Amino acid sequence: MNAQVQQALEILKAGDPQALDRAIESLQGAVYALGMKVCGHPEDAEDTAQETLIRLARSLKNFLDARALAVWLYKVAKTQCLMSRRRSKFAPAQMLSLDALMPDHGAASPAAPKPWAITPEEVVLHRETRDRLEKAVLALPPPYRLVLILRDMEQLDTREVAEVMEISEDTVKMRLHRARVFVRNELGKYFSKKDHARP
Amino acid sequence: MPDPRCKQIFTTLSQYLDGDLPAKNCRDLERHLKDCKPCLAYLENLKTTIQACRNLRIAKIPRPSARVRKALIEAVRR
Repeated sequence: MNAQVQQALEILKAGDPQALDRAIESLQGAVYALGMKVCGHPEDAEDTAQETLIRLARSLKNFLDARALAVWLYKVAKTQCLMSRRRSKFAPAQMLSLDALMPDHGAASPAAPKPWAITPEEVVLHRETRDRLEKAVLALPPPYRLVLILRDMEQLDTREVAEVMEISEDTVKMRLHRARVFVRNELGKYFSKKDHARP
Repeated sequence: MPDPRCKQIFTTLSQYLDGDLPAKNCRDLERHLKDCKPCLAYLENLKTTIQACRNLRIAKIPRPSARVRKALIEAVRR
């Protein structure tokens, strides 16, 4: 589970007045960031944070343990994101075929992948590459996008993603691989144009 | 990706990176990677992608609204 979210929920459950403000800020940050990554729009992210946290206030006493509450919180946030006003901008919920995502990469092929000459830190530090990454994630059909965001960005484990998405762990793994490959291929197209590949 | 071995490897890369691949399949994959530069490059770039996703942060986060703050404080005090 996302450590920041779990810790904030533990503070709320314990009712520690000294740490309450920090916990609320922390939850706002986590849910808003999730909304931005899923919806790509600040107003939708703000609506998601607002509605999710108001619902949290109503349900806080219904959960005994912070982890179960965190799974519930992600479920509510996910639903709010999908219901956001700009949902028409979501890509249609098509399936991603692994065959279609496979690169033509025979060693002799000019399209064979080469290692990128860029570190993960540089990808997110440079505005242009960061924009490419965000666009690639937003171009994913929502069922794949949500799995990638929850697993690789929010650091939930496979079982927790399965609970939030209400799907099997095998389906999480299948969607995660296709989503990662899709984003990797989108970045690859960009880097090959920009010549970010090592010789 | 004409080589069927490359195709097979391609389907298991995430499991490999997440430590979910059985030991025997790991050994097979690693043996293949020694001889297949494109597969190795693909795996490295997939790793970079996953790590970049992990590093992605949202820069500007608005403060919680007064309504949210009030609702949560009241819920904790109840």
